[in-house]
Amino acid sequence: MRSVLSLRALPVMLRVGFAEAVAYRAEFLVWILSTTMPLIMLALWSAVARDEPMGRFGQAEFTAYFLVTFIVRQLVGSWASWQLNWEIRQGTLALRLLRPVHPMLAFAVENLGALPLRVVICVPVVAIALLAVGSGPLPRSPAAWGLALVALAGGWLITFCASFAIGSLAFYFDSSLKVMDVWLTLFLVFSGYIAPVELFPPAMRVAAEWMPFRYQIGLPVELLTSAHEPAAALALVARQWAWVGGLGLAAVLLWRGGLRRFAAYGG
Amino acid sequence: MLRYARLFGVQLRASLLAMLQYRLDFLVEGLLEMFWIVTAIVPLFMVFGARESVAGWSFAEALLVVGWFTLLQAILEGAINPSLVSVVDHVRKGTLDFVLLKPADAQFLVSTARLQPWRATNLLTAAAIFGYAFHLLGRPPSPLGLLAALVLLGSSTLLLYSLWIFSVSAAFYVVKIDNLTHLFSSIFDAARWPSSVFRGVLGFVFTFVIPLALLTTYPALALLGRLEPAAMAGAVAGSAAFAALARWVWLRALGRYTSASS
Amino acid sequence: MILVRDLRKDYRVHQRPPGLRAAARSLFRREYKTIHAVDGVSFEIAPGERVGLLGPNGAGKTTTLKVLSGLLHPTSGEVHVDGHVPRRREAAFLAKITLVMGQKQQLMWDLPPAETFELNRAIYDVPRDTYRETLGELGKLLELGELPARPTRQLSLGERMKCELAAALIHRPKLLFLDEPTIGLDVSMQATIRAFIRRYNQRSGATVVLTSHYMEDVAALCPRVVVVDRGRVSYDGGLDELVRRMRPEKRVVLHLERPVDRADLAALGTVVAHGPAEAVLQVDQAGLHGAVSRALAALPVRDLTVENAPLEEVMSELFSRSRAAAAEAEREAATP
Repeated sequence: MRSVLSLRALPVMLRVGFAEAVAYRAEFLVWILSTTMPLIMLALWSAVARDEPMGRFGQAEFTAYFLVTFIVRQLVGSWASWQLNWEIRQGTLALRLLRPVHPMLAFAVENLGALPLRVVICVPVVAIALLAVGSGPLPRSPAAWGLALVALAGGWLITFCASFAIGSLAFYFDSSLKVMDVWLTLFLVFSGYIAPVELFPPAMRVAAEWMPFRYQIGLPVELLTSAHEPAAALALVARQWAWVGGLGLAAVLLWRGGLRRFAAYGG
Repeated sequence: MLRYARLFGVQLRASLLAMLQYRLDFLVEGLLEMFWIVTAIVPLFMVFGARESVAGWSFAEALLVVGWFTLLQAILEGAINPSLVSVVDHVRKGTLDFVLLKPADAQFLVSTARLQPWRATNLLTAAAIFGYAFHLLGRPPSPLGLLAALVLLGSSTLLLYSLWIFSVSAAFYVVKIDNLTHLFSSIFDAARWPSSVFRGVLGFVFTFVIPLALLTTYPALALLGRLEPAAMAGAVAGSAAFAALARWVWLRALGRYTSASS
Repeated sequence: MILVRDLRKDYRVHQRPPGLRAAARSLFRREYKTIHAVDGVSFEIAPGERVGLLGPNGAGKTTTLKVLSGLLHPTSGEVHVDGHVPRRREAAFLAKITLVMGQKQQLMWDLPPAETFELNRAIYDVPRDTYRETLGELGKLLELGELPARPTRQLSLGERMKCELAAALIHRPKLLFLDEPTIGLDVSMQATIRAFIRRYNQRSGATVVLTSHYMEDVAALCPRVVVVDRGRVSYDGGLDELVRRMRPEKRVVLHLERPVDRADLAALGTVVAHGPAEAVLQVDQAGLHGAVSRALAALPVRDLTVENAPLEEVMSELFSRSRAAAAEAEREAATP
């Protein structure tokens, strides 16, 4: 058992994360472009709502919803699973293990290091959203804002922990990336990414309530567009953080178990 | 020409043999493909649950577009994607040199390197979707419509292949380009919807810049017997033009790799 | 066969200094530096020759090889290989050459090497009977046995290398370009590969151009070496001549009947090694005769041999001299 934290390294790691994001500009651009689905969906749902609104969603509401979805996706996204899988396959994970920083923290910090760049990408989108829809849907009170930000953090944590947990599966079997594919597919459908959860048919709504995806994207978006009353919002955030806890635990356990196997078989 | 036909046969055989090595993988992949397509239809159900028609398309008609999407997806996953992904691999491992050393066209060699014709599972899904759609419409497609659709299948495949060549050529310019597949998939995904859904800028982009409309909407219209001859001619010519452009981009990218342009 | 005149190859590499501000700046504007990988190289190689391209890391050997095989376009200079201009990559040219790279392989990973052989046969349009004959010969020379039938991923590094060589020779090329072919192999496999290359060259008359870090490769295979140093040719000629130039002294190895004082040995020449039963002296060419007769007369010598300085030493001295020169040049460039 090694020591877990070396906080002094954090600023440097953040800086390196930023530098890496900048270095691989093209790859970054590719990632940004791959997450353009909300804009496609916006076009689609706007067409649907052209003559009459769908539920409480008219064209304006859809615009707000999907632009915010784009922003939230940018802020919350994590590619830890692919990175971890790669490092385990290549054996370069060993290098990471030699450093006095816990790999989970290292991955998290690297991810956060790229955040400033992602925020920069979001700025024009925010501007467009405000111009198109105005600031009406935004949270009204400081408490509501606070809760929305907590939901955003929760969304990030769920995405990261799930990503890390699935990445750790690479310790156990070869085609762990397929699990990520399945996760992503379910995510796309049930998170509210391609359609607001509100509009789901009843059976799907029930399913969505019991899966973590909705709390990755759907909840932060809904809170940022004031879709819930305070009491309901609080309850949903509580459920989100229950998922954070569960997935965090899963990530740690899978990691530890995997590490034992890694050491046993020499990577 | 005959030599290239023979080469194609040899490559195909090698791919089949390689497939037999990884039978379990193939099964899992196939199942995942079908799973993906099923989930792709969910939004369609959601949208049409509340409406009769969207942007001039009824549920059954939109289903045709999804059917074509599935069909092209199968061709993409079976023939185009695996081979071209191998180019990215080659560039990364530095083994592209071996391809360039062979006295045969590099584009041909890399495009036929890893064919996976057993991804036919989605061909079945596509057939099922077509069947259901026509069942809802209450009438089969006209022979002329069917013929037109087959021609468009050829041009759509060529177009899809060309779009991929563009993406892969990027691998020569950029160091880390692993998520190319994801990028392509997300943009290609928009082809699931009838193109009249996209208005304004997006509509323009998806008709002329990344002509997804040509890929799925036009063939669907052909099957419905609603495609103007002029539009069809435009689609075929457009695909040919794209193929020529893609070849040019590929040669430029290769030239850069060998520093030919300096 | 091969004619290279004033070959130059430059690369533009972008600089990325550390630090946050530099990183942010590089998002918008990148600084480039030009590297002269090959800086005016000229040589000629006759058909059937075996030539070694030697030099420290980054000297430009692999770049030169890639230019010769048409994989890279030179920045300037003339290159002619068997009457062709490599960068045009004519099909006739490509059918005459082959490139084997030590760290990389063209064998298909999931399938047996035999499938790659078949593929190459189809690509190079080799007639079936010629193909069978060639395979038979290669199989015997390389001692392939059953290896081509096993999936590549199941073979060891050495076995893979043998199959890699076979795959590269299916089309009986006239020119073999070998880039570090024995790297990572164990000693006996290295010897096998070397013997194979020599025999192949003798039997087929194919021209061989080889780059390697291993001195045994060079000593065993290359009567002629071209030493490339920071993009330029610093020596082109026979290996023996090179050794003589770098280390003109001879080594006298004395096998002694009983231990001898170091002082007694030092009187005869520079003492390189001193043990109870053996001693090695370094003596320059002029004093060699005298030193040998004095040793035989004055010391209890059981056996005596005269050798050149070991190749390893010569090479490492050559490379360290070039590194020192490079460091010096950089220092001069850095001071204002």
